Amino acid sequence: MIEQLRQRARELLGEGKVALVIGHGRGSSPQATFPVFITKADAVDRLVFNPFCRNNLAVYLTRKDIMPKGAVGLVARPEEVRSVAVLVQEQQFDADRVVLIGVACAEPGKEGAACEMLKGRTLKELEAEVAERLKGRDPAQDVAARVKELEAMTPEQRLAFWEKEFSRCIRCYACRQACPMCYCERCIVEKNQPQWIPSSARPLGNYFWNVIRAFHLAGRCIGCGACARACPMGIPLDLLNAKVAREVKESFAYEAGFDHEVPPPMASFRTDDEQEFIK
Amino acid sequence: MAMLLARKNLHALLRGAMEKKYRVVGPTRTAGIVLFAELSDPGALCLDELNTQNSIKEFFFPKSETLLTYTLGKKDVAIADDFAPPRTVLIGGRACDARSLVALDRLFGWDYKDKFYFKRREATCVITLACDRFDEACFCTSLGFGPRATEGSDILLVPAEGDAYIVEAVTDKGRALIAELEDVFTEGTPGAEKVAYPEKKFDLAAVKPWLERNFDHPIWKEEFLSCLGCGTCTYQCPMCHCFDIVDEGDIHGGARCKNWDSCQFALFTLHTSGHNPRPAQASRWRQRLRHKFVYYADKFGTEACVGCGRCIRNCPVRLSILDKLVLIGREAAAAPAPPAGAQPRGVTKRWRATTSIFRI
Repeated sequence: MIEQLRQRARELLGEGKVALVIGHGRGSSPQATFPVFITKADAVDRLVFNPFCRNNLAVYLTRKDIMPKGAVGLVARPEEVRSVAVLVQEQQFDADRVVLIGVACAEPGKEGAACEMLKGRTLKELEAEVAERLKGRDPAQDVAARVKELEAMTPEQRLAFWEKEFSRCIRCYACRQACPMCYCERCIVEKNQPQWIPSSARPLGNYFWNVIRAFHLAGRCIGCGACARACPMGIPLDLLNAKVAREVKESFAYEAGFDHEVPPPMASFRTDDEQEFIK
Repeated sequence: MAMLLARKNLHALLRGAMEKKYRVVGPTRTAGIVLFAELSDPGALCLDELNTQNSIKEFFFPKSETLLTYTLGKKDVAIADDFAPPRTVLIGGRACDARSLVALDRLFGWDYKDKFYFKRREATCVITLACDRFDEACFCTSLGFGPRATEGSDILLVPAEGDAYIVEAVTDKGRALIAELEDVFTEGTPGAEKVAYPEKKFDLAAVKPWLERNFDHPIWKEEFLSCLGCGTCTYQCPMCHCFDIVDEGDIHGGARCKNWDSCQFALFTLHTSGHNPRPAQASRWRQRLRHKFVYYADKFGTEACVGCGRCIRNCPVRLSILDKLVLIGREAAAAPAPPAGAQPRGVTKRWRATTSIFRI
């Protein structure tokens, strides 16, 4: 499988179809892979792929200081395919700027789990293939179960739960920086005229920050869990985002990242909407 | 003969300190991670992990410190800035953590003496635990000290054979605390010390001259691309000390807060004009390395890095300062400093061959 992956990267770079391939590189152990940026066909052997490759590489696609003007090859797990679908849908770049090298692992995070190449080449094909792979199974099963636990709490218990979790927040913004959907040039938390969100790592500001980020991801979060894995203080941000994603699914029958051609629910309206306020 | 603390007496030591009305801070397990935090009871102490997620700087230079509070009256403003930190015993830090305090003393006391920092320093007795293990992110020995160094500690506990710690009283403050809690200590013949030294990984003496010579080296364009630009490395670092002062409140009053800030944020150097002298993440990394190993060393005679490895273990993309220091060490060895008067560039052939598509 890894040879197929490297071969595609080699072809793309060799034929000049992309200026850069972003993938996972070998670390000191299989668990310690990290993002690599390959610009030469003879350097593709630096690429690896295993169940522990969990960084969402789509985060780099909107970074101006590293993106070349030409096309980019992206080693894309289902998480990256879905992230790219959202970014294209939100017109951050044209679909033809990113050449997806589809890969998938049967059980991400599990040692020895089988990894394979995805068949699709275009974003459209890969969206369909990823939707098919994810059909009938909840990719974030344990997240769903924990969300149910939270829903079963009283509002007071839930408030206490989140106050405790957010009290550890140090406002390092690793959650935001690891998230492909957080591409704003100036985040609302950095706006200070007026200062919408207190910048001190104190209960009020921490609550504001984490809840507002979750709101801003409504209908956009694809549930890759990069925020929770990036958090150095162990705050389960994936729960918050999974809860919002569920609300969106129930209200709009929509899940982010499966079709870049449909309008996103939070950025569109219908004149025949049954709710008055939205018209 | 030496002073010993039986491992089973560790809780008794903490209980004794709590009974003497000390606030006790130590590593404790919270939501799956081990953090330095105030311990509600001695049993909450958790020494399972080599190193905590957060560093002890939190207890001298908190993530958000109230400098003063103010109340707006009709004609005047009432200000309250009393500050009296609790008497604290801080246990379970490592030699690297303790060393960071000595280095930070020089910064916070250099021209203006930061009363918040020093009052907390005075009120805190630091009991350090020498390391009986290390991991691949540890590099204290590469920085010229080691896992049983006493610098910055008031008391050092060295694990030894026979389920005991050898107790070294380092300062008068440490001796006073031992005298206060003398019941838990014993005199005895110590067993062999169980201290584990990580291998030395780079030549520290070569790092500063290399950084001084290579501001434009291609390394900066190639090696730091994956950096996401979060503040995790700097906030978990025991040495990083940048802060921002903000007023938070409403029309009736509020607080002036001193909050951690990070050179890794794009906003950190963004000018009002819109110009940013550090426009790319790579330039922010270069600043981080140069601050730690050039500017701080020039000004305060020591590096602003203690090799604790927190920035490495916590980095979401495993971008390791140690790997980069090893790389710099190799580069320095391959292209040694030119004699005075020669071209001040040390770019090796391997790097010159790299044509970069990345901006910095």
